[in-house]
Amino acid sequence: MVSLPYRSRTRILTQLLQRLGLGFLTAFAALTLTFFILRLIGTDPVDSLLAQGLTSAEQAESVRQELGLDQPLLTQYVEYLSGLLRGDFGISLYTQRPVLQTILEQFRWTVELALTGLVIGILSGLAMGVTAAWWENRFIGSFAATLASLLTALPVAFTGILALWFTRDLGISGSKIVMPASVLGLSISGAIARLVYSNLLESLHGPYILAAQARGIQRSFRLLWHALRPILPALVSLIALEAAFLFAGTVVTETVFSRPGLGRLMVRAILDGDYQITQGLVALAALFYTASHIIADWLALMFDPRLRETA
Amino acid sequence: MARTHVRSSLKGDGMRRTPGFWLSVTWLVTICAASWLLPIFLPHDPYLPVADPLLSGRHFPPLGTDALGRDFLSRILYGSRMTLSAAVLSASITIISGIALGLIASTTSNWVDRVILGFVNAALAIPGLLFALLLTAGLGPGFRTIILAIGFGLIPGYTRLARSVFLQIRQAEYITAARSIGMRPMRIAISHILPNAIRGVASFSALHFSWAIMGITTLTFLGLSGDPSIPELGALLNSGRQHLQIAPHLAIIPGLLISLTILAIYRLSEELD
Amino acid sequence: MNSRFSPFRAAFLVLIISGLLCTGCQSTNQTSILRYGLTLSPSGLDPHINASAELGIPLHSVYDTLIVRHGDTGEFLPSLALAWHISADGLVYTFNLRQDVHFHDGTPFNAHAAVANFEYVVNPEHHSQKAAAMLGPYQKAEAVDDYSLQIHLNEPFSPLLDSLSQVYLGMASPIALEQWGPGEYQFHQVGTGPYRFIEYIPNDHITLERFADYAWGPAVYQNETAKIERIEFQFYEDLATRALALERGEVDIIGEISPQDALRLSSHEEFGLFAVPIPGQPLEFFFNTELAPTDDLLVRQALVTGVDRTRIIQTLFGDLSPVSKGPLSAQSFESLLQEDNPSDGNSPIELLERSGWVDTDDDGIREKDQRELVLNLISPPWGSNPEVAQLIKVDWESLGVIVNLEVASSFGTLKQIETEGQYHAIGLNFFGTDPDLLRSFFASDGVYNWSKYHSTDLDYLLINAASETDMSMRNTFYRQAIAHISEQALVLPIRDYVNLIVHKNTLSNLHFSAQGWFPYLIDLELES
Repeated sequence: MVSLPYRSRTRILTQLLQRLGLGFLTAFAALTLTFFILRLIGTDPVDSLLAQGLTSAEQAESVRQELGLDQPLLTQYVEYLSGLLRGDFGISLYTQRPVLQTILEQFRWTVELALTGLVIGILSGLAMGVTAAWWENRFIGSFAATLASLLTALPVAFTGILALWFTRDLGISGSKIVMPASVLGLSISGAIARLVYSNLLESLHGPYILAAQARGIQRSFRLLWHALRPILPALVSLIALEAAFLFAGTVVTETVFSRPGLGRLMVRAILDGDYQITQGLVALAALFYTASHIIADWLALMFDPRLRETA
Repeated sequence: MARTHVRSSLKGDGMRRTPGFWLSVTWLVTICAASWLLPIFLPHDPYLPVADPLLSGRHFPPLGTDALGRDFLSRILYGSRMTLSAAVLSASITIISGIALGLIASTTSNWVDRVILGFVNAALAIPGLLFALLLTAGLGPGFRTIILAIGFGLIPGYTRLARSVFLQIRQAEYITAARSIGMRPMRIAISHILPNAIRGVASFSALHFSWAIMGITTLTFLGLSGDPSIPELGALLNSGRQHLQIAPHLAIIPGLLISLTILAIYRLSEELD
Repeated sequence: MNSRFSPFRAAFLVLIISGLLCTGCQSTNQTSILRYGLTLSPSGLDPHINASAELGIPLHSVYDTLIVRHGDTGEFLPSLALAWHISADGLVYTFNLRQDVHFHDGTPFNAHAAVANFEYVVNPEHHSQKAAAMLGPYQKAEAVDDYSLQIHLNEPFSPLLDSLSQVYLGMASPIALEQWGPGEYQFHQVGTGPYRFIEYIPNDHITLERFADYAWGPAVYQNETAKIERIEFQFYEDLATRALALERGEVDIIGEISPQDALRLSSHEEFGLFAVPIPGQPLEFFFNTELAPTDDLLVRQALVTGVDRTRIIQTLFGDLSPVSKGPLSAQSFESLLQEDNPSDGNSPIELLERSGWVDTDDDGIREKDQRELVLNLISPPWGSNPEVAQLIKVDWESLGVIVNLEVASSFGTLKQIETEGQYHAIGLNFFGTDPDLLRSFFASDGVYNWSKYHSTDLDYLLINAASETDMSMRNTFYRQAIAHISEQALVLPIRDYVNLIVHKNTLSNLHFSAQGWFPYLIDLELES
């Protein structure tokens, strides 16, 4: 990459910092929203505990004070935030264990699944999109395009079930990472493929490529790479967006393949009525989502010089 | 935002009336007709066990029985009806609220716009399904909760899209003309912006409808609907997979129905673009 | 920058990486490893605090208990206690303990260690969900000398020996209990059993390793030490994934398989089916006697006779589960149960009409005093409860009743619904080997008296049975109590629980404890 003049670099830095600031603001707002939604529409956690016999009527008052539930909502909110800054996500009332610890235990599996799924999704999406555009007039091209369309509509649950059914005689283990990650990857590959396909089509028919061909560059990987480069920023943005779908996908995939992870933890917490864990998970999700957007923006800036001009 | 124009047929290049368009319309009409009309002619109650469980289509036409001995065809038909009605309800909540909020945001004061946009962006930082799960956590599991959760969960995204459509229209000449003759903003909004917006919002409204279907079937698949005897495509998918080895059609048919319906709506929304 | 970023190269790289990832996933041990599939992932794994039966499957072999119960005869045999003596007034139990036992952490087992265990269980801050209740009118435990333990009760309590034979009162190392405390101890368990507790990752796995020094097994164990080196337990909460796990070779043995899968798998040469009846309460629903219309005995009787239990069981379980004969399972408590149906001969419709519920406006729903007959049926989420509940709903609806079915999302939610009291029938059942099980469900002050039934007669029978030391007298009390419960139609019992276990045929010598759930892991043999 070409070394940039000083003024450009500061400008980029300012832009990045702006995005970062905005991101944190958004994550913070999301946290606030979560907190108030749970407190306002949910039931009182102490009442819940009482009803389940996990505490006695006499102890209820002291539990309430311990949790700070007798204080006004705003005070509780401030307490919660300051706890978060210290890294204290609170204690689950049901398991008596710190929320952060429970989340971290399950963290590894979901990250494994999500990252592998993301890689598979990107690669298969690229493969399909490129095939559809490169051979647009041949059968294989149309086939790839149709397949991509199809994949965007298939619910992850169904893809998973189909995968289990088609491989039933093959003896492939369902709990190892390959199958769940592939299912997850395929669920996002459709959207990626379509983006690559349509943009690549435009790019291939555009003047830029025609000029390259006129210069004598054959239809080859080199030409493909030239055509792909302008797409990268949009692609990276899409991938960041797909991170959200990835979350929905992991929840379902973990259920279908009986894998441990944050998705299952979330569903469990909801079914049990465990607010602390739900809150902690949403906080984490908001942070990651924002982070992935910021990273996507940075990468886009890196890849596309044209974006750097905008103030 | 990159506009995607996907070629939908092998031959010819029409934008509106491609074979894909007609296929989608046919499918949607068929499934709606089937789920609402066919049950009138069929003898079986989807809640009542009528034969041995897990019979194949050969022993109990046309589609066999489920794990509790209920007629599977009835379950499927009522299931489609349940899913589609729930999705319509959810999408209505989303679209009506989204249009209202988008309209308010784009036509009233700047300050109101900022506040609404702030809420919308905050909510969008939470992934869609998670937001719906959050609402389910607060309200407790149940079919009604799912409809509300998905309905409200899709509002932020829809509002943002609707708002940008309204803003675009607002810049149009005839609106400036209306304002210059002193028409009140509310009147402008209702009699001028709104009718012209319908074309603009049609496409992503259809898309949101398909997302409502996706969201509802996912939540019922995860078991959050409270009463497992309710036939609904996502719930059927979930109970069907318990017996995948013995009677795969119990899971595959609901899955196919969901997928084809979503696909059809996607195709339609593209054509509306 | 030209051909470096080639899509095919990238794909190739990823293939290699994922290949490496996959091989990394597989274990490459030489030692014999058994993979055991568990079903419920319990919210806590401390046997002194948590109540699930699931935790006992691995933990039964991590701990020894003072005494054990023979699976067939039901008699009590020595384990950590060599002999015991009950005082004449039934208030003092004295145990002579073995002197050659030590914990997995090397510390010796003695009467002081035992006392520390009891204190841990009854400590109110630990909120023991089951173990503490199993001790009944416990007063204190004391170490008379290093190897003599005495337990003092406030009142005589016959079920005590049965309680002491269960994993919930297994002996843990006091050093470990002290060091980790409740909450953390479940991850660092130390007992004296044939297997050591290695690790527990919630929702993922539990690992046990053979304890080579084990030399004090009770007579119910065939082997002196375990044969299999290592056992890994994995969780399969979804019914759909259990048979799958077995077929794909992820586990060697798994329980709570659906009847259809069990039959299908056992027809393969590779697998064998082992059906274990579990003693205790059958799958059943309690009627709320304080809420109309189930406060009316005739209505309850109608609801009980109006359910075609044979057909429900045939539909869901085939031939693999017996119809229940009463509030306790027939296999273990046959002698206590009745033969005939108390509401003899009367059809459910007659019963309903006699109690005033008639369909006056011919809309298919019965009314009385201008109110429709509506019932709230609440089912727990586990096992086959939701399916059974759906079929019960169908049967009741054919009687002209409106049934609102709700499946609670967890045990906690179930209890919450019960506290709110707006139910007419709610499902719950516990397992156990002593008929005193009935007391917490049917005595007026019973913790699980979800039928809200208060009768001094029934209380008398249940309370006296608990303190009665003479066996035949006890049985008479229970027989009368069960007759009372049936006459009052307090419950709708459906089926006696049978655990369907499917295992690879390379696994042999499968035995289960008297409680039915817990395998004797020490005796298992795995062909390589």
